[in-house]
Amino acid sequence: MAATADDTEEQTDAPGSAPVPGRRPMGRIATAVSVFGELLITAGLVLGLFVVYSLWWTNVIADRKADREGDKVRDTWAQPDTGPGALDTKNGIGFLHVPSMKNGEVLVEKGTSTDVLNNGVAGYYTDPVKATLPTTGKTGNFAVAAHRDGHGAKFHNIDKVKVGDPVVFETRDDWYVYKVYDILPETSKYNVKVLSQIPKESGRNKPGHYVTLTTCTPVYTSRYRYVVWGELVRVQKVDSRRTLPKELRD
Amino acid sequence: MYGWIWRHLPGNAWVRALISLVLVLAVVYILFQYVFPWAEPLLPFNDVTVDNQ
Repeated sequence: MAATADDTEEQTDAPGSAPVPGRRPMGRIATAVSVFGELLITAGLVLGLFVVYSLWWTNVIADRKADREGDKVRDTWAQPDTGPGALDTKNGIGFLHVPSMKNGEVLVEKGTSTDVLNNGVAGYYTDPVKATLPTTGKTGNFAVAAHRDGHGAKFHNIDKVKVGDPVVFETRDDWYVYKVYDILPETSKYNVKVLSQIPKESGRNKPGHYVTLTTCTPVYTSRYRYVVWGELVRVQKVDSRRTLPKELRD
Repeated sequence: MYGWIWRHLPGNAWVRALISLVLVLAVVYILFQYVFPWAEPLLPFNDVTVDNQ
């Protein structure tokens, strides 16, 4: 280890040894203060790195993962029908397009657990309220959640969404075009009523085809939830060239 | 602390600097790969769902 150990350094900590010329030996307290200071600097650096990790690195990882998963889903869709098969929900059920969020397409997968959402996707609720998938054709609420920051930050620009903006859900065969009709910029995280099949808080009291986007707010924290509600306007068949519906074309 | 590490690294200043760099990168890797992913769910920054808990 100490092949080239210069003795000047080795002696500084050893009590009783002759003081090195030009260098004051550190007292016990001075050493303690110095180590404490270095620990504080280290803690600061680690916290700084954590910010880099949460706001940048998790996005890199999640976007990579989401792109791969999304490609897989598109590949499956491109394959010719292999007879009546069950809806494959494992790799994602479709893509959410919200032009006003300017984030391209967001893959939608099942569940809102951290494991799912950390892949840079939006998840539809299975708990505490089960979301009604638009593909079932039934009335209900298609409630999804995604990260506001980090892990893809798919709903980062949710505050840019205005009433009247389109929200389009793309599946293998259909474009479900929703229109935003109400926004709740801040609500308690316990407010599960926003996910109800008929979201009363949005002013609706008849069954319908609703979509609910939830994420956390304000940015970089999780104190409240931000909720955007939309209502189905029309369903458009996907053509052979997957022409975008007019809401997504400009 | 860092002085102590520096003094116990072998080689001349350049070799030590190189080893230090490798050590720093190793620490950053461990933090990003293991420590932060573990710590993140414990911190209240990224809960996006509404729930009963």
